[in-house]
Amino acid sequence: MRGFASRHPIWSLIIALAVAVLLWLIFTPWPPGLVEAIGRKRIFLNAIFGGITLGALYFLVASGFTLIFGLMRNVNLAHGSLYLLGGYLGFEVSERTGSWLLAFPVVFILVGLLGMLLQHQVFRRMEGEELRQTMVTIGLSVLIADILLWIWGGQSYTILSPDFLSGPAELPIISTVRSNGDIIYLKYPAVRIAILIAAIVIGFAMWLVLNRTSLGMLIRAGVDDREMLGASGIRTQYVFLIVFAFGAGLAGMAGIVGGTFQSLSPGEDTRFLLASLVVVIVGGMGSIPGAALGALIIGLSETLGLVYAPTYSVVFTFLIMAAVLAFRPQGLLGQTR
Amino acid sequence: MALVDRASVSAAQSSPSGIWIDKVPTYYWVIGLIMLFMPVIANDFWLFQVFGWTFILGMIALSLMFLAGYGGMVSLIQMSVAAVGGYMVAIFGTSGITDLSLGLPWWLYVPIAIIVAMIFGTIVGALAVRTEGIYTIMITLAIAAAFFYFARQNYHIFNGYTGFNLVVPPQLFGVDWRQPMPFYYLTLAFALLSYFVVVYVSRTPFGLALQGVRDNPRRMAALGFNVTAHRVLAYTFASVIAAVGGILLVWQNAQISPGTAGIPAVIDILVIAVIGGIRKPIGPFIGAFIYVLLRTFSPDVLTAFGMSGERFKTLIGLGFLVLVFFSPDGVLGLWERWQNRRKRDPLMGSGETPGDRDVGGRNV
Amino acid sequence: MSDTSVAERLSATGTASALELRGVSRYFGALAALEDITMTVEPGERRAVLGSNGAGKTTLFNCITGDFLPSSGSIRLFGEDVTVFPAHERIRRGLRRTYQISLLFGGLTVLDNIYLACRGVSRGRFSLIRPRRNDALVSAAEELCEAVHLISARDTLVSELSYGQQRQLEIALALAGAPRFILFDEPAAGLSPAERRELIDILTNLPEHMGYIIIEHDMDVALRVAESVTMMHNGRIFKEGKPAEIEEDPEVQELYLGGGH
Repeated sequence: MRGFASRHPIWSLIIALAVAVLLWLIFTPWPPGLVEAIGRKRIFLNAIFGGITLGALYFLVASGFTLIFGLMRNVNLAHGSLYLLGGYLGFEVSERTGSWLLAFPVVFILVGLLGMLLQHQVFRRMEGEELRQTMVTIGLSVLIADILLWIWGGQSYTILSPDFLSGPAELPIISTVRSNGDIIYLKYPAVRIAILIAAIVIGFAMWLVLNRTSLGMLIRAGVDDREMLGASGIRTQYVFLIVFAFGAGLAGMAGIVGGTFQSLSPGEDTRFLLASLVVVIVGGMGSIPGAALGALIIGLSETLGLVYAPTYSVVFTFLIMAAVLAFRPQGLLGQTR
Repeated sequence: MALVDRASVSAAQSSPSGIWIDKVPTYYWVIGLIMLFMPVIANDFWLFQVFGWTFILGMIALSLMFLAGYGGMVSLIQMSVAAVGGYMVAIFGTSGITDLSLGLPWWLYVPIAIIVAMIFGTIVGALAVRTEGIYTIMITLAIAAAFFYFARQNYHIFNGYTGFNLVVPPQLFGVDWRQPMPFYYLTLAFALLSYFVVVYVSRTPFGLALQGVRDNPRRMAALGFNVTAHRVLAYTFASVIAAVGGILLVWQNAQISPGTAGIPAVIDILVIAVIGGIRKPIGPFIGAFIYVLLRTFSPDVLTAFGMSGERFKTLIGLGFLVLVFFSPDGVLGLWERWQNRRKRDPLMGSGETPGDRDVGGRNV
Repeated sequence: MSDTSVAERLSATGTASALELRGVSRYFGALAALEDITMTVEPGERRAVLGSNGAGKTTLFNCITGDFLPSSGSIRLFGEDVTVFPAHERIRRGLRRTYQISLLFGGLTVLDNIYLACRGVSRGRFSLIRPRRNDALVSAAEELCEAVHLISARDTLVSELSYGQQRQLEIALALAGAPRFILFDEPAAGLSPAERRELIDILTNLPEHMGYIIIEHDMDVALRVAESVTMMHNGRIFKEGKPAEIEEDPEVQELYLGGGH
């Protein structure tokens, strides 16, 4: 961090300014002139928080993708299918048992097992052959998409959030100050706050595991140097199985999250695959902090775009990606190889 | 087909005398004649729907084959480039959406469409070549998705979700080119032209250099080649072929909408090229033929077996999966392997030929 | 491409050194692969660079050809500052190199490989017209093919060549066009004694104006084809001199012979 500031003083200044402006926009009541120029503060805040929550969801999906790619160089273009499958399974579990929370471990285990199967039966046979992996996983995603359509049909599903998370929560952020002096605080759906907290906890836990445990050391050693992992006497294939299962299970759980605060329908698999791709391209392949940063940027740009320039929201996302590619092809936090 | 590329060149160099006609293998003549007289045996549905569509999809997949097979760059943008070409025909030519279409004559809107598609493909290429291998696939896929969503949301140029209808070819020479027989010959002519142009270009300095870049970009730079420029120009070249395919496609359907370049369509082009075989220019056409046959007739077959006709995607997905799992070189690869097995000496047991082996450290 | 005018460049060629490195360093993260390398090679001079594995020899070549840029310092080629030029621009100015591990085009034939090398330093790299049989570059490629004894394999795919043949082709690629200065990266590695003799023969028979730097582990080969020697150790230049001086230097002997070689 300090290195970055000393190497790129101008960029650090710009980033610091942008963060300061953002914080000011979030925490102070807006003067009337600003409201006239870009609309009510509540709309802006909702867009910001919506963007952060969407970013949290994108992070859950993309972190599994980037972890799998980072360690094994496995390109899993069926990652979006795992997301959608997890969502549908979660829907079934929570409908039948009435327990939203129970859906998470069940889906994590089921989709994780499918991930293990994929790693063991598909990727292990074509290690290092990226093109073949791509083709096979594209074939798989076409196949899975059609099977899901077969079973669950074309309608869209929404997973009901549990009672303790339904309804709004009040945030300590001022939305508006009424003329009579009353301060209105921002209300926001509790379930979205829960999602955000869950994403932060999972992201932080992944970071801890990767940086503070011996398994994490192994995985990171594997990312840097595949031969070292093999030479250390570790059964590489076990590590690969665990990581793949974890990444897949994460995508499955993200499906429940997405099904709760958005909806599940055919086509969501490609949407989330693409979101993961864009997130990791922007953030940097194989980097967990990169996935977090990329997910935040893409989530924010999507929701802010939808609110302030609905026609061109996709273009914003694309422009961000193009700009990153043009100036930093390895991604914002990616390593140069 | 397998070794024609190499064989024809070495033949050209080793036998100085001899007319080029002598060097064309017999089966070329057979296939050519069958193609030429197809309208005698095939009905309108086959001419227009099956063969017309095969040639068009084959051309778009051929542009991918050129980039992937010769350049080592698997680009998923080709369908979008084709769609840009199609859209430009609708926008600059005539369509049912009279508010947006400019109604220019065909000799203006066709070149404009090709040039715009070419520029689009070149820009995407310039972005994509900054990265390598798997990243190319991801980036082009992401850009293709962005184009789809943009076309769907933009009503000022692309007319949003509905797109354009009533886009028909010009009545040139008094012929209605959308009639099955004229359309068959129109698409056949362009498919043949693009096929032979690709075969020809593969042996030109540009084509050879591109294959050098595929095999070893670092060494190409150390020989004095501008690797990036070669890659970007390959995109430009491929865009022209894709654009022509896109124009023919919009004429065949008489309409174009964002779905033409949707993610499933983008993936289909890759599937076609891979099913056929991505190393030889004939592969995409074989792949397109198989795909069109499956697409056209599998609902009937599935229904006959008591399943829903909608499950053809499962069929295609499964077939594709099995094929890439066992033969990364597609149907052509299977064919070559089978031929090698036939040629194998039963006593010596060895018969591996170069075509069977993975050629060079391909960077995809 | 360059800031120097043609006239400047032409006048420079006569007087300037073939290659001039000033304070060239290259870091990979915290690791210094090259540190403060300053060396001058005159036109036509034949120099050997010796040193143990990891001494930075190949990194030095990569910096000179522009495979990657030096972290600091400057590189002049025949008087022209090429420090930030991309690789292909340096090659077009007469620099050539071979690689330690053969970097060839496995999917193309031997003749196509050499043809590409000839094409790379001439016009028409983007030509969409097929070369004719009597094309000057095709004949040049055929001549080169013959010069490195590969004419019988001219239509073979490179991925099917033997190791020794690939090394020969590697040299042919470096000789294409009109090279003025060549970098040979361990050309003798993995060759049989007979092939080594042939290699020494090819190197010593190069036209006199063609200077080169050769990285070679085999002292016998290196000292027979070079007029001057640079010893490298841990990314630094450790000693420079005539082959005879270097051979007798006690420090060199200790380093080189004690270093497990």
